[in-house]
Amino acid sequence: MRGKLAAYLGRLVRRNRVRADGGEVNANATRDGFVSDEFTASLPYWLPPFVVMGLAVYGAILWNFFLSLTDTSGFQTPNYANLDFEMYAKAFADPVFIGALRNTFALLVAFTVLCLVVGLVVAVLVDQGIRYENTFRTIYLLPMALSFVVTAQFWLWMYNQQNGLVNIILGVVGLGPYEWIGNPSLVLGAVVFALIWQFSGYAMVVYLAGLRAIPTEQFEAARVDGATTLRMYWRVILPQLKGATISASVVLMVFALKAFDFLYSLTGSYYPPKGSDILATMMVRQAFVANNRAYAAAIGIMLFALALVIVAPYLLYQYRAGEL
Amino acid sequence: MTETNALSGRSWRSTALYAVLVLLVVFYLLPLWTGLVTSIKADVLATAPFLPPAPAGFTSVHWTRAVNALAGGLVNSLILAIPATILSALLGSMAAYGLTTLDWRYQVPILMLFIAGIFIPYQAVLIPLSKFWASVVPVSDLVGYVGLAGWVGDLVGLILSHVAYGIPICTLLFRTYYKDFNEEMIEAARLDGATTHTIYRRIILPLSVPMFAVTLIYQFTQVWNDLLFALVLVGPGAGAPVTVPLSQLGASLSEVGFGIRMAGAFVAALPTIIVYVLFGDQFAEGVST
Amino acid sequence: MARLELDDITKHFDDDGETIVAVDDASIDIEDGEFLVLVGPSGCGKSTTLRMIAGLETITDGELRIGGRRVNEAKPRDRDIAMVFQSYALYPHMTVRENMSFGLEESTDLSGSEIDERVESATDTMGISDLLDRKPSELSGGQQQRVALGRAIVREPEVFLMDEPLSNLDAKLRAQMRTELQRLQEDLDTTTVYVTHDQTEAMTMGDRIAILNDGLLQQVATPLEAYHAPANQFVAGFIGEPSMNFFDVDLEGDSVVGDGLDYPVSDDVRAKLDTDALVLGIRPQDIELVEEVESGHDVAVTVDVVEPMGDENNVYLRLPDSPAGETFIANVDGRTLVDEGDDIVARIPEEAVHFFDRRSGEALRNREFDDEADVDLSL
Repeated sequence: MRGKLAAYLGRLVRRNRVRADGGEVNANATRDGFVSDEFTASLPYWLPPFVVMGLAVYGAILWNFFLSLTDTSGFQTPNYANLDFEMYAKAFADPVFIGALRNTFALLVAFTVLCLVVGLVVAVLVDQGIRYENTFRTIYLLPMALSFVVTAQFWLWMYNQQNGLVNIILGVVGLGPYEWIGNPSLVLGAVVFALIWQFSGYAMVVYLAGLRAIPTEQFEAARVDGATTLRMYWRVILPQLKGATISASVVLMVFALKAFDFLYSLTGSYYPPKGSDILATMMVRQAFVANNRAYAAAIGIMLFALALVIVAPYLLYQYRAGEL
Repeated sequence: MTETNALSGRSWRSTALYAVLVLLVVFYLLPLWTGLVTSIKADVLATAPFLPPAPAGFTSVHWTRAVNALAGGLVNSLILAIPATILSALLGSMAAYGLTTLDWRYQVPILMLFIAGIFIPYQAVLIPLSKFWASVVPVSDLVGYVGLAGWVGDLVGLILSHVAYGIPICTLLFRTYYKDFNEEMIEAARLDGATTHTIYRRIILPLSVPMFAVTLIYQFTQVWNDLLFALVLVGPGAGAPVTVPLSQLGASLSEVGFGIRMAGAFVAALPTIIVYVLFGDQFAEGVST
Repeated sequence: MARLELDDITKHFDDDGETIVAVDDASIDIEDGEFLVLVGPSGCGKSTTLRMIAGLETITDGELRIGGRRVNEAKPRDRDIAMVFQSYALYPHMTVRENMSFGLEESTDLSGSEIDERVESATDTMGISDLLDRKPSELSGGQQQRVALGRAIVREPEVFLMDEPLSNLDAKLRAQMRTELQRLQEDLDTTTVYVTHDQTEAMTMGDRIAILNDGLLQQVATPLEAYHAPANQFVAGFIGEPSMNFFDVDLEGDSVVGDGLDYPVSDDVRAKLDTDALVLGIRPQDIELVEEVESGHDVAVTVDVVEPMGDENNVYLRLPDSPAGETFIANVDGRTLVDEGDDIVARIPEEAVHFFDRRSGEALRNREFDDEADVDLSL
């Protein structure tokens, strides 16, 4: 990858030099001809969006990285002359950070895995050639169209200790009432459940597309071979949903990393319910409440690294498979 | 004998299937339903949360209050979401054209940078972003020169931020669409004498209409639903998009506040719900790409 | 209308640092108004050659001239060519009229009414006047094909380029369009380069055919020359259906000898064979089936399989010593009655026999064919 990029940049520089000298363009064109023609012609289209996006994403990350190496706090101007990894060291000595990190991972794993399972089951059910399939699908996906802020309001009411529907339902079988949001050991589970409610529809849509891509003959062949429905899905269909699983889990994990909006809305403040602090909420709090900008920047960079660890292999996989 | 057995087995199965599907409908709609009935109860505790109020217990006061509290936010959200959506879709389509239909070497690495941009946690860019609009390009001060309030500038900054961070996903959506275009068709246009520009204007853009629908709907929902950028770049105040006041609504009112909370949630979600009900298929296509 | 010259045209593709030679040093002179068919198996470089002429691929080396003008660096739009694609490549959002006027709008200064006139006359020629306001999705495959052709002729270009334009049609329509295309090309008298992998199209349509294999030009000749006097074993095997039969043989005295074959050659023929390692070629149509061995050119064989096609039979024959499955084909009259397992005699007339150098594949001796009357009859 990097070699290619370097080679590409090299060509770019060389080409520009030829252009700048003028006159030599034609000599060059006999070799590269339309490649360079297409390239120059394509510039006005992708370069402006690329510059805007590049500055906003990669420029900002770079800036953020350097900020994280300073020790800016309060209203100081960052001193970029004195850079070190102090903030990162500080983070790993900070029990709040460790707690948030643990919660982030717990949320990430539990949410993603359960979402995939629920999504797969629902997708298989919807794929049985049912009537009103479109209506069912539309309803299952609806929560995803809603803002985290909106769904947080609904679930606050659902989880209400005295009058929430969740406790009322559990009360029927003699359980509870539980303090879902107020109890630090329950809140993360409650959040995961609400997020599954919101995003399992997404996993369903991705799996459904995967199921539809499998030729009907395979279902029929498996049936002719005498496989029971369950075994057919397990041995024939599931292995072919690998691609759908990978892309869905990447997107879900990234959603989980972004769960800030939901947690903020549960309390309407930068302090999420006790026991549900994740890196995303901690970073924003450090940056805009505590004003520890360098520390917040370091947390932001670590979140970015986390996303990179998830996304980079996925992109590479897609690239290799020629999906891009 | 066996035939009827098989038949009844099948119908039993299909009954069970539909029962599960309907149960799932209940699961996915219950929080919304509960919210809806709660929002029209004078006393939210009068009946069980999932039951509608008795006729005497009905009220529209929560809705009136919610609309009053969120009206400004709704307008701001519209001012924010519409231009941000259109701009990022347009830029995404251009980028995808330059990186897909026009064929040159090493466009895939460039494309990778675009796509990786989709997955960036905003926390990694939040401080530079707020710094940028505060000191590098202080929009809220700049608009002062043309006699506009500072919050207008904040909103402009928010719009442009959403445009910038929306470009990657829009590019990917258009890229997957353009990749399936018949290459020979583009070559035919080129042989017909069309330039890069006329190919885009006369061939690609007219053929992109369905994808614009998908992208606009998806991106509109994303921008409308965002809280983090709105909170950090605009904050509560005159320019706040609807998600900001909604997150504060009734927070101090405990149980009694849930009437207005639920009404507010619906008021804020209404545009996205309408868009979703009308264009659910395009939304599904947007998310599954 | 113009002469089209390919002068040592070469195309290299760069595949991750490795260079792939797609077309190697191809030189063809295409006369003004000529219909040249580029034919060869898939991957032979015929489409690449066509795309280089169109300007859709760069030319690595060599020179391309249209009407005497070097066009290597010219953009497609400046070459005065029109191309018909395999997929038709119609613009799906435009009506037939818009599809056909698009090129005129983009590449000429013609006024709207002049464009309309030309579009209408082209649709008249193609017999699609009643489809002018339809979109491609509302047309059948054959109609789309006509629109694609109409889009090319409306431009009145110097050269037509056609990339397997008939391969998406069903067999019946394809045969019909073949004649129609030929007539059209004769009427318009426009230089045409036509790419196909179908040798029937090549034989029936081309004034001349250029046979390509592995990026190398094998032969440029009239269809009959290519059939009767192939330049090498590849051309001999590629042109003709069923394919020519080949036997590996060695020259021993007055005969060529191979597995189960001992075939005497006359002095005339022998004189042309300047090497011992040979391949004997005989077209299935030239083999006669007889009852008894009468000369050295008759070979006792066993019938392996008979494929009756109605008017003719393809009879798969096996030499006595050759292993099962190794057969050669005789194409005989459909009324010839032979059955599987029959022991009969195949007569291989010497005047119809080809000899190739086994190492280079080069033709050393082709069948006798110089009679003009013969040529006219077989047309």
